[in-house]
Amino acid sequence: MRANFIFSEVWIGLRRNLTMTIAVIVTVAIGMALLGIGLMVNSQISGMKDYWADKVEVSVFLCKKNDPFPKCKGSGGVNEEEQTALRALIEGMPQVEQVEFEDAAKAYENFKVQYASNTVLLSAIQVDDMPESFRVKLKDPETYGAVIEQLEGAAGVSNVVNQKKLLENFFGLMEKIRGFALVIAGFLVIAATLLIGNTVRLSAYNRRRETGIMRLVGASNLYIQLPFVMEGVIAGLIGGVLAAVLLIVTKVFLFDGVQGYLGNSQLTWETVASVISLTMVFGVLICVLASFVTLRRYLRV
Amino acid sequence: MIHFDNVTKVYANQNRPALDHVSVDVDKGEFVFLVGPSGSGKSTFLRLVLKEERPNSGAIHVAGKDLARLSNFKVPHLRRRIGCVFQDFRLLPNKNVYENVAFALEVIGKPRRFIRKVVPEVVELVGLEGKAHRMPDELSGGEQQRVAMARAFVNRPMILLADEPTGNIDPATSIGIMKVLDRINRTGTTVVMATHDAAIVDSMRKRVVELEDGKIVRDQSRGVYGQAY
Repeated sequence: MRANFIFSEVWIGLRRNLTMTIAVIVTVAIGMALLGIGLMVNSQISGMKDYWADKVEVSVFLCKKNDPFPKCKGSGGVNEEEQTALRALIEGMPQVEQVEFEDAAKAYENFKVQYASNTVLLSAIQVDDMPESFRVKLKDPETYGAVIEQLEGAAGVSNVVNQKKLLENFFGLMEKIRGFALVIAGFLVIAATLLIGNTVRLSAYNRRRETGIMRLVGASNLYIQLPFVMEGVIAGLIGGVLAAVLLIVTKVFLFDGVQGYLGNSQLTWETVASVISLTMVFGVLICVLASFVTLRRYLRV
Repeated sequence: MIHFDNVTKVYANQNRPALDHVSVDVDKGEFVFLVGPSGSGKSTFLRLVLKEERPNSGAIHVAGKDLARLSNFKVPHLRRRIGCVFQDFRLLPNKNVYENVAFALEVIGKPRRFIRKVVPEVVELVGLEGKAHRMPDELSGGEQQRVAMARAFVNRPMILLADEPTGNIDPATSIGIMKVLDRINRTGTTVVMATHDAAIVDSMRKRVVELEDGKIVRDQSRGVYGQAY
């Protein structure tokens, strides 16, 4: 096998079909980038689910003086007995694993950390403005329904916030993004396959004279087909490299940006690297398969 | 060398067979003319020898191999033992004489050293010494056909198939082409030549196989083209 012969043939083929080659490269690049984004969102979702699994709590906020919540109207805030009764009620529930009381001072500390950058808000809020709450951790976060129902009716409770519900909305959005990216990627993979097929067909037509002679003098099928397949591989590889660049940009500007708000980072560079290698292998594989299938039809050997 | 046993070939969408129960033997080192009008089955015969087509019935042996049992994978190896020359030369227009001949060796993976040694020898054998760096469009038809013959012969095939090699060439130049074919034949290569050219057949006095409507109507050693044409 003479490598320089094959490569000069490949180069001639790519140059003759420049417009088609560019179309293939762009389609593969965008298709693989979207596939990669879908995979990255996926890993982000599972990473975040693990992270939040043992952290989600049900927050039971207690009435304070002049609380605007309708359930607290008229009362002068939660009193000692109500608070003790509430704790007993929560601890008596079979679904509850652990319960903690967060007083106004602690809530203010947390608030200060969370909104450290917002000085205007911080100066406007006093310790007294912070509600007291019970932080309830459930054995199984899925079983929040009954717990919330019972607690919402209890005396001295202003409102109950289920973090899981909030997270589920967020995960729902992420899953939609993932689904959307993967569906579009699927369409682009189909488009790329057809484009490669067309490119190979043109290429085979352009070089029918050479391939005819090669066939006649007894060149092996591999020798005749390899330049065409290599054209696909090279277009696929260039597309894959562009997709890798797009994925890195997405990671730096989109995922890292979003993670700033969520306070923790799950999308590591290792994940990005494995996503990139996976999409690249997939892209090249599509190109090889599409080339082979087309060659079987248009290059009789 | 070539053995056809009761071979019939019917192309798809055609009722009349291109070859109809043809049996013929060509021995090693023979020179055979295949004559007959257009559509008599000459080209089909050559295509069957190359296994470009498959017969509908009958057996074909080429160079000791039963073509029916030869896997597609091995067809290229069969074709390396068969050289081919056509009426339309089939040269690569962007390669010069040397490169056109070398191409046949490059694509079957021969080492460069070997190519550099044998290509000039064959270019000289066909009478093109000194023209190795000409492009095909700088050559006459006869010279182009010599390049094609050099390419067909450079791998020292056992069989050379020529499909109307003088069809595009004037009679005076054709004599030179026939001399090259004769020279190739004298190296021990079996030559099968399909032709319409009565003058050439008559002057060579070689074996003549005549086809008509896919049937062999005459097989004569040291024959002539025949009065009908």
